[in-house]
Formats: sequence, C-alpha cells, structure tokens
Amino acid sequence: MEILVLNGIVNGLVVGGVYALIGMSLTLLYGVLRVVNFAHGEMVIGGSFLAYVLFHAAGIPPLLALPVAAVSFFALGYVAYYLLIPRLARSDDPESMSFLMMYGVSIALAALMLLLFEADSRSIDYTFNPISMKIGPVYVSTARVVALAITIVVSAAVGLFLFATLPGKALRAAIMNREAIQIMGVDIVRLSAFAFALATGLAGITGVLVALVFPAFNAFSGPEYSIIGFIVIVLGGLGNPIGALLAGVAYGLVEQLATVFLPQALAQIVGFGLLVAVILFRNAGFMRWRVGR
Amino acid sequence: MATATPSSRTADRERADRIYFTLAALLGGIVIVYFACVPLLGGNLAFHFYLMLWITMASGFNVSSGFSGYMPFGYVAFYGVGAFTTAILVKKVGMPVLATLPLAGLAGLILALLFAPTLRLSGIYFAIVSLALAAICRLVITNMPETITGGSFGLQLGSHAEPVLSFYVMMVVMLVALGTILWLSRSRLGKALRAVRDDAEAADMMGINIARVRLQGWLIAAFFPAVCGGVEAWYTNVVDTETAFNTLITAKTVIYAVAGGLGTVTGPVVGAIAMVWLDELIWRRFPLLNLLILGLATVLLVLFLPRGIVGTVLRWRPGWRRFVP
Repeated sequence: MEILVLNGIVNGLVVGGVYALIGMSLTLLYGVLRVVNFAHGEMVIGGSFLAYVLFHAAGIPPLLALPVAAVSFFALGYVAYYLLIPRLARSDDPESMSFLMMYGVSIALAALMLLLFEADSRSIDYTFNPISMKIGPVYVSTARVVALAITIVVSAAVGLFLFATLPGKALRAAIMNREAIQIMGVDIVRLSAFAFALATGLAGITGVLVALVFPAFNAFSGPEYSIIGFIVIVLGGLGNPIGALLAGVAYGLVEQLATVFLPQALAQIVGFGLLVAVILFRNAGFMRWRVGR
Repeated sequence: MATATPSSRTADRERADRIYFTLAALLGGIVIVYFACVPLLGGNLAFHFYLMLWITMASGFNVSSGFSGYMPFGYVAFYGVGAFTTAILVKKVGMPVLATLPLAGLAGLILALLFAPTLRLSGIYFAIVSLALAAICRLVITNMPETITGGSFGLQLGSHAEPVLSFYVMMVVMLVALGTILWLSRSRLGKALRAVRDDAEAADMMGINIARVRLQGWLIAAFFPAVCGGVEAWYTNVVDTETAFNTLITAKTVIYAVAGGLGTVTGPVVGAIAMVWLDELIWRRFPLLNLLILGLATVLLVLFLPRGIVGTVLRWRPGWRRFVP
C-alpha cells in the first residue's frame, strides 16, 4: 500500500507537471485575450502527433521533436491569431462567442487529425535507455522522469520570462489591466498575438510530453485535456500563471492518488466534481459573480 | 409616425400584432403540412425526423441562451438522460413507449432542478460547469450496473420500432416546443427573462423574482431535449452512452441555434433547416469531410454572422422586429 501511495505521488508529479503546462498556457490566453480556448486539447494532441510523425517517418527522437514542436506551433499560433481573434471583438458577447468559435476550431482540428491519422490510438515506440529508473523504493519509467525534468525546465523558463523580462512583465500587466497598458504605449494587438503564439507553442511542447507520459493518444483525446485545463485554471484563479502551475500539480496528485484508492471512473468523476464545487462555492464568494439572490 | 396620437398608436400596435400572428400561423401551417406529408408521400423519413429533432433541440436551447442568456455547453446531458429514461422504462419495467416519453421529460426537469444552483454563475463559468456536469452524467450512467443501463453495449428496445408513429410523435413534440416558445416570447415570463438577461439589477428593482424567472426558463429549456432523447431512442431502437451523451449533439444544437439567430422563435428553426440541409449535402458528397466542415462552418459563423441569419436580417431591417415571430 505504501508503495502504491508513493507511486501515486511520483506519477502525480509527472502527470501534474503536464497539467500545469496546459493550465499555464490556457490561463495566459484567457488572461491576456479573454479567450477561452476550447481547442487547447486538440493543439496539445497535435503536438503529440507531430512527435509521432517525426519519430516514425524521420527517426527524430521525441527530445529533438520538442524544439521543432515549439517553433512550428509558435508560428502557427501567430497565423491563427490574426485569422481568428481580431474579428471576434466585433460580436456582442466576445467571451461566449470565443468559446463557441474555439469549439468549432476544436471540432475542425479533431476532424483533421482523424483524416490524417485515422481513429486508432497511437503511441511512440521510443524507449530510453535504461527503460526505467528506481527512485527510492519505486520504479518509474525513464520517459516519465525525463518528461518531469522538461516540465520543470519549461515552467521555470516561462516563470522567468514572465517575471524577469520586459515582454513578460507586459504580458502580466495586460492580464491585470488591458486598458491601462495601452495608455502606457504597449501595442495590445502585437502583445495579444504574441500571447496566443506563446500559448500555442507551449501546447506543442506539452503535446510531445503527453506522448512521452501517457500510453496512447488519438484524434479525439483533445477535449479530455481541455477540460482538465479548465479545471486547473479555475482552481488556480483565472489569469494567474503561478496559480495554474500549482493547481496543475495539485490536480495531478489528487487524480493519481484517487486512482490508487478509487476505481478509475470514479476518480474521473471526483475531478469533474471538484471543478463544479470549486466554481460554485469558492468563486461565488470572492470574485463577486452576479448572484441572483 | 412621430406625431401619432395614442389611439392611432394602439391601432398601429394591433396591426403589428395581427401581422405577427398571421405570420406565425402561416409559417406554422406550412411546417405542419410539409412534415405531415412526408410519410404519406414516401419522403425521406430519417432526414425529416432528424430535421424536426434538431429544430426542437435548437429551439429549446434558444430558451436558455437567447431568452435567459445562459450558454449550456453540456446541453446533451438532458438529451442523454431522457434517452436512458425511456430505454430503461421500456426494457426493464415494460412500460409502453408512449407512456415513457412524459417521464423522460420529467427526468429532464429533475436534472434541471439538480443543476439549478449553477444558474447563479454567469458567462464562461456557467458554460464550463455545464460541460463538466454533462461529463459527470455520462460517467455515472456508464458506470451504473450493466443490468440497468446495459453497459457499453447499451440497451436495445426490441420489437418496439414504429418509424412512422415515432415520426408523428416527434412532430407533435416539435409543435409543442414551437408553440411554447411562441407563447413564451409574448408572455410575461418571456419579457421578464429578457429583462433579467439584459440587466438583472434593474429587473430586480421592477419587482421581478429573478431566481424564479430564471428557474422557469431553465426548466423549459431542459424539458424538450429530454423528450427528444426519448423519442430518438424509440426511433432508432437502441441507446448507448457513446451516442446518447455525444458532445456532437451539444455542438450541433448550439451551431444550428446560433446559425439561425438566438432570441427569436424563427431563428433556430431557420438555422436548423439551413444547416441540417447543408449537413446532409456535405455528408452525401464528402462523408469524410463532414466533421471538418462542421467545425469550419462554426468558426466562419461566429466570425462573419455572429447574430445568425434571422438576427442579421432584423439588424438590417429593425422595423421588421415587430412582425417576425
């Protein structure tokens, strides 16, 4: 039992790291753009498929796929921003409409991946040498350890960027007050495009990690990750990257430990229930949603 | 018009009302005659059955999103629960199918009451919670004992298939839904719902019981998809969690309603007719691209026609607002 719990903690950290990256990119998007990216899960899975193609068609190992995914998704994000977002501001209710639009994007991306890769679940047959490592009394696959290390590096880099560089500070300022930062002379359109591209680039990186950490993925795995992303950003407070980081790790730990004690399906229900409870009870208090008595 | 006296203004309004109701009756008549003729003249039963189903679903969604301002992205929960209610009652209790349909609607109402606390949320929080609740419903039903819900194989209703009868039942459900929404759009409740949507505090000041009005709108929006689920279970004779809780059902409902335009009675009807027809056309030509085009259509719709077909026409000709149901 003790071993199982320890195992749950280690796996929780690994999985939680992936969730934290998803949450950080989602929350940046929401914070800067007020866009709720329902297609985020599909972007992540797109990264997994990219790693899959690079490995099986060109023999490029997943670790080298990371920079490829980051750069290509970053560029795609720039293009997608100018295609999708500026027009959105013209509708009556941009926030709900953004959700609907990204819902459409998510369907389209899932369909595209279905056309390219069919409905079968895929996995990358890449193995590290040695296959697993012994950490204390538990064995963990090397892929997971590597993924955890990458997660830590990437999230540290994002944190450093957000808190120690001028563009990063501009992003955080835009999250706090979108109007004031324009008065300070920041080009909000360029900044938003950058935020969108950054979030997509992070999604690409996360996708490669998903391919390393989880046993398999397919064209329809996206919504699962989107919903987990929503849970994480709500738990961490919308628009708060550090909150998302902590909430992602916490959620991963809870999920993995729940599977130790509960059946798999029940553990999932616990996750969704957690989301509902947090939104209903916590936010009603301090974020002052319009309470209809 | 500017110098209209009170009496001529009343006459003007009466004239507008007359046009409104004539138009509503005319459109309703056309719809009834058209659909009633489909089985008689040997038309495409399945296509028209699903057309009516989507009209009903989109109209129900409109009550929540167009009238009350809530976007339930987990709308499929009501549909799925309705489908399973009918299937379980027919298969395990042995009730006649027709008798189970009101109970399917009742199940939708009960679910709506359970979800009622979420009405205090707004905007994107409501949408996300609704999505999560639908996922919970699917997981709960999937994990129920196989003797009740049939597990992953689902439930077969057996020898209860009556395509033509279920077609006409679907037609009755659609007409009841359209009638309800026509009534709602002119009723005190409908006006109160719109007032609460636009400015809850002002509506509160005017003496509207916000919580009650919202709940009533929510119950109407939940009833019809649940009945639709029941009728569809009867029509296809099989229910399983994969199809009954498929998020595509929510997606299509939302897209069709938005395509027509939220907030009017005719909007979702026009949207459903246009999009189901388009869907069928695409499906026949490029079966593989269907899903991709559905997604792209949604994006284009939001970007270029956010008010929908009817909404755009009404924006272009605001004077018609008084005449168009």
